[in-house]
Amino acid sequence: MSGTITPDAPAREAAGRPTGRSLLLTVPIALWGMLMFSRSLQVPGAAPKVAALLTFLFMTGLFFLMMRTKETHRWRRVFFVTLGFLFPVGFIWDLIALRGSMSIPIERMIGGDTPFCFLAIPMMIVPAAFTRTLIFPGSILPTASNPHAVATMVALWLSATLVLGKGWCAYGCFFGGIEEGFASLPKKPRIRQVDPRWRWLPWAMLAAIVLLSAASFDAVYCMWLCPFKAVTEFPEVRSAQTAVQFAVFGSLFAGLVVVLPFLTRLRTQCAFFCPFGPFQALSNRLSVFDVRIDRTRCTDCVTCRRACPTLVLDEGAVRRGRAGMSCMKCGACVDACTKDAVRWHIKGTALSASSETARLLYLFPAWAFATLFGGSIIAGTLAKLLQWLH
Amino acid sequence: MRRLKAVLGYTGAVLTSVAMLVMPFVLFPLFTHGVAATGVQVDPVYGGGRTARIIARDGYRIVVNQPVRSRALLARPAPFVQLAWEPAAALPAHVADAVDLDGDGRADLIARFDVPADTTAALFVDVAPADAALRPLRHVSRDSFSSLIARVGDRIVVRVPLAR
Repeated sequence: MSGTITPDAPAREAAGRPTGRSLLLTVPIALWGMLMFSRSLQVPGAAPKVAALLTFLFMTGLFFLMMRTKETHRWRRVFFVTLGFLFPVGFIWDLIALRGSMSIPIERMIGGDTPFCFLAIPMMIVPAAFTRTLIFPGSILPTASNPHAVATMVALWLSATLVLGKGWCAYGCFFGGIEEGFASLPKKPRIRQVDPRWRWLPWAMLAAIVLLSAASFDAVYCMWLCPFKAVTEFPEVRSAQTAVQFAVFGSLFAGLVVVLPFLTRLRTQCAFFCPFGPFQALSNRLSVFDVRIDRTRCTDCVTCRRACPTLVLDEGAVRRGRAGMSCMKCGACVDACTKDAVRWHIKGTALSASSETARLLYLFPAWAFATLFGGSIIAGTLAKLLQWLH
Repeated sequence: MRRLKAVLGYTGAVLTSVAMLVMPFVLFPLFTHGVAATGVQVDPVYGGGRTARIIARDGYRIVVNQPVRSRALLARPAPFVQLAWEPAAALPAHVADAVDLDGDGRADLIARFDVPADTTAALFVDVAPADAALRPLRHVSRDSFSSLIARVGDRIVVRVPLAR
């Protein structure tokens, strides 16, 4: 940001965009942000308005920095980690206000008051297809006591998938933001060598939970394996079974979301455990955006492979010249490459086509989604905190 | 051909931005209504099943649902029948109701429970079945999805397990 160019700095940083042009490119996102956050003006009280203004400045400012520096990952990460840490604060805040506890009692479940989570979607499909029933204790349409209904969340996910593909995992998934936060704490990884074969584990997990959920008519991952239950809500501990469930949630969260990301600088839960990741990776086929490696520029320095937080960019991918199907388009590898060999790309275009044009065409909708979805979560939590401080 | 592919690629990229612009106003409501229009329902193990009959009482009513049997192949919960006393505010301090589940004129069970004034207080139910298809409940609170008494909104829901 200071404008100092180190000898090994990426070529694009040396050619950082002029301020005026960067501001011009930020205008559409600023207008979008105004449109999205203007709804807060109708909410009574000063806190929601101040929170909306702060969030607007935060999101627009980060986008300006993306334009000015031509770097994606660094600024996206600031937003994503903020989202990851503010989401549970706001969610738990609401739970405590609503029922005085993070645990969900059985009467809330049978009343359809469990907020639906997108992670449950892969488990719902087979039972819904064969029996037209959803194996989740929520409600189909929003109610006063449960605004996060199944139809609402599925619609949000479908819309996001259409726009972002697997980019959901880098611009939308608030859970990913938590581990990205812990992964970015150390400057260097304590554990450097992680066998890339571990990244096939989420595919096995996806197959297992889809089959088990269909056979048991129960959202198996949500009931037994989701690490993020530890920071959202979990079944009320009333028996040995629910005590074991709670212990599993806590252990997985501590291990996969806190300790291992800190030790490896990887998003270990996303890379080695989350079944939603591979499910979402299928949508990358729909997206016109991908990340390619220009072999004529690549020197096999492995900088990009080290930068990839989910080990999607491995030796084979670099050799093939394209990131794997599970690439979430966070931009870490593109930003890390000092030779401009790793490039944003639009399918159908030549590899020599402008990487920056492809990046811009991806970033506008991606950041618009981040502002709409993540921005509203950040603003909502900020409003609660401001109200509390006041 | 390469040029056509490139044009299609850029067209797709621009359409992605268009899709994003219309997302909150068009796509999101469209998909929400689309999901609701598929007719999918929450699993009756959670929802309690469809209403079979409604029995009027003095100042309140008992809603009897159809029996619910899980379609699970593994770890199948016990089948149950759900009854709901509503509105809870109109119930006497102690309820002892003989309930005819199937409308054949004979009581199938007698349910007894107290209704404390404190709406957060724990509830306990005793159910004495007169029908071999039903299983008794003794001082049950919220044991499982198949055996429970719980205050759900302005209703008191009782689930009586059925013999498998």
